Amino acid sequence: MAKCRRIRSKRVWLATLILGVISIALVSVPWRQANALASSSRDLAPMPEAQHVSLTGRLVDPTSEPVEGATVILYINGSPVGSGEEGTEIEVESAVDGAFVLDLPQTDLGSVESLTLKISRPHFSSLEWQATEQDLAKINRSESLRLADMTIERRVTPAFWIAALTFVAILTLVALDKLHTTMAALLGVAIILGVSSVGGTVDPDFFVFDFERAIEYVNFDVIFLVMGMMIVIGVIEETGIFQWLAYQAYRLSGGRAWLLVIILMLITAVASALLDNVTTMLLMTPITIQIALAMEVGPLSLLIPEVLASNIGGISTLIGTPTNILIGAYAGLSFNDFLVHLTPGVLLALVVLTGYILLRYRGQFLQRGGKLSETLLERLRESGRITQPDKLRMSGFIFAIMLVLFVLGERIHLAPAVTAIIGAVAMLLWVTPDIESMLKVVDWTTLVFFISLFIVVGAIQEVGVISMIATTIGDLVGDNLTVAILVVVWSSALLSGVIANIPFTAAMLPVIGYLSATIPGASNDVLYYSLSVGSAMGGNGTLIGASANLVTAGIADRAGYRITYASFFKIGFPAMILTVGAGCLWLLLRF
Amino acid sequence: MGKILCATRGGEASYRTQDAAIALAQEQDDELLFLYVVDIGFLDKTASAVRPDVVATELENLGQFLLLMAEERAEKHNVRAGHILRHGELRKELKAAAQLPDVTLVVLGRPAGEESAFVPAGLAEFASEIESETGTPVRIV
Repeated sequence: MAKCRRIRSKRVWLATLILGVISIALVSVPWRQANALASSSRDLAPMPEAQHVSLTGRLVDPTSEPVEGATVILYINGSPVGSGEEGTEIEVESAVDGAFVLDLPQTDLGSVESLTLKISRPHFSSLEWQATEQDLAKINRSESLRLADMTIERRVTPAFWIAALTFVAILTLVALDKLHTTMAALLGVAIILGVSSVGGTVDPDFFVFDFERAIEYVNFDVIFLVMGMMIVIGVIEETGIFQWLAYQAYRLSGGRAWLLVIILMLITAVASALLDNVTTMLLMTPITIQIALAMEVGPLSLLIPEVLASNIGGISTLIGTPTNILIGAYAGLSFNDFLVHLTPGVLLALVVLTGYILLRYRGQFLQRGGKLSETLLERLRESGRITQPDKLRMSGFIFAIMLVLFVLGERIHLAPAVTAIIGAVAMLLWVTPDIESMLKVVDWTTLVFFISLFIVVGAIQEVGVISMIATTIGDLVGDNLTVAILVVVWSSALLSGVIANIPFTAAMLPVIGYLSATIPGASNDVLYYSLSVGSAMGGNGTLIGASANLVTAGIADRAGYRITYASFFKIGFPAMILTVGAGCLWLLLRF
Repeated sequence: MGKILCATRGGEASYRTQDAAIALAQEQDDELLFLYVVDIGFLDKTASAVRPDVVATELENLGQFLLLMAEERAEKHNVRAGHILRHGELRKELKAAAQLPDVTLVVLGRPAGEESAFVPAGLAEFASEIESETGTPVRIV
C-alpha cells in the first residue's frame, strides 16, 4: 500500500514537473517574443545611420569582354584611402563580370578635392581615372557615383609571345606528326605554367597566369561528357552492331556496288552522329574491306566515301564530333539546337557527296564482281555477326533512354554531361558491372589532352592573343553577317585541313563569341554553327584533317591498301569544297 | 617437305608476292604458310578514345579473311597452304615466325610502288637480319 502511495506520489511529482515546465515554456515564449520584439525595436530605433557612398564601375577589354581580376585602387586627395577606416576598401578586384564597387570612407565626405582610380592588371596597360568637378560635388553631397564602362587596352608582353608561340608550336608538332597530340598539349602546359611561375617572379611581364586561374579555364562539362560517352561507346562497340550493319548493307545491295556505297555512307553518317566518327570508322573499316574484296571492288572506293560521310554525319548532333562538344559547352547549345539547325544542312551535304562519289567511282561501281567461295562467304558472315546479343539489347535500351534525355535535357534542366554520366553509370552497373572495364574503356590520354588544351587556349586568351584575332576578324567582316558566316565557315574548313581541328575550334570559340556579340543579327548563334560546319567538314579536305581519316588509312594499310596524302586529297578536297558549299548554303538560307 | 613462310597483307599489291611464293612452293613441292600480323600501332596517331582490344579483334577478323583468300589462291594451283596470325610489330613477328619448326624459307615481296610495307634498301637489310638471327634463308621475290 505504502509502496503504491509512493509510486502515486512520484507520478504526481512527475506530472507537476512536466506541467510546470510546459507552463514556464508557454509563459516564457510570449515573453521572449515580446522581449525580442522590444530588442529589435530598440535596434531599429533611430541611430546614426551609416551612409554608404560608393563608386561603381565596370572594366572591359577592347572586344567588350569583361575584365576580371583587375586591381582597382582608390586615391582621395592624392593619397590611398583606407588608413584604418573600418569597413572601407582601399583596393578591390574586378569581378567575373568586370564590375567593381568601392565604398568611400565617411570621414572624407564633404572635403574631397580630388578623387583618382588607378587600375592595373597583367597583360593590360594601366589606367587612371580622375573625377570631374561634377563628380566631386556629388561625392561631397554624399551621393554615390556610377561610372561608365571603362575599356582597358591590351599590352603585348613577353608572356603574350610565350603563350602564342607555344600554341603555334603545339599545332605544328601535331600537324607534322612529330608528337602525340596529348604529349604536345601537355608540353604546352608545362612551358606556359613553368615560365609563368618562375619567370613571373623575376619579371611580371613573363607572368601568364597561376595554376588556380589555369584550372578555371578547364571546361568540366566537356570532360565529363567525353568521359561518359567513352564508356557508353566502349560498351556498345563490343557488341558487333557496326559489323552486323555493314554485313546487312552488303546483303541488301545484292551485289550492286553503287547501292552498297550509298547504304554504307548512310550507316556511317548516322552512327557518327549518335556515337562518334572515329569509333564508327575503326569498326566499319575492317568489314568494309572484306565486303569490297568479296565484291571485287577496290576497297578504297568504299572506304573513302564512308569516312567522308562519317565526318559530315557527326555534325548533326552535340555528341557527334569533339568539336561540337566544345562548341555546345562554350555557347550553351543543346542537343536539339544542333539537331534542328544543322541536320538539314548535313542531309543536303550528304546528297551532294553521294552524287560526287557515284560520279567519281562510276567505273568501279558498274563492274560486276565474281562469285565468292563458300568458305569466304562464311568468314564474312562470321565477321558480320552480332557477337554479344544480350549486351546489345541492354546497352541499346540504355542508349535509347540517353537519346531521349539528350533531347528532353533542356526542358528538364539536365546537362548533356550529366546525361552521359547517367548513361555510363547505367552501362557499368547493368551491362558491364566491372570497374576494371570502366578503366579499360575510358581513354585517359584523351581526357588529359582536353584538360591540357583548355589550359593552353586559356593562356592565349589570358594574354590577349584571342582578343587580337577577334578584333582583326571583326574589323575585316564589319557588320555584315553574311560575310562573317562565309569567313568563319571557309577559314575553319581550310585551316582544319592542315591543323588539328580540336585545338583550332577551342581557340576560335572566344573569337566567335566576340563576333556573335558585335555583329548585328549574329546573336542567333549562326556563327557557332558555321564553326561546327567548317571545322568538321573541313576535315575531309586532307588525310590529316580528321582522326577518322587517319584511323581508316591505318587499317586500310594493314590490308595492303595504302591511302596516301595525295590520293586522299584528290578525292577528299573536291568533296570538301562541295559539301562545305552545301553546308554554307543551308546556313545562309536558315539564318 | 618444308614450309615456305610468306608474310602477306592481303591487298592487290601482295598478290604478286603470293603468286611468286605459290610458284616456289610448286617448284620445291613445299607447303605454304601465309603470315598476317595484326599491328595496331597506328592507333597512337589519334587523340580519340579507342579500345585497342576491340580494334585488334576486328583486324584479326580481317586478317583471317585475307589469309583465307591467300590460301584459296594457293589451292587453285594445287599447293597446300596454311596460315598463322600473330599480334605485334611486323618485323619482330616475322622473325619469330621464321623460327617455327619446318619453316625452310622466308619469302619477302620486293617493293612494288607505294603499297609495299618495305623500302628497297631496307628490304635487303631486313632479309639478312632474318637470316642471321633465325638461320632461315630468305628469298626476295
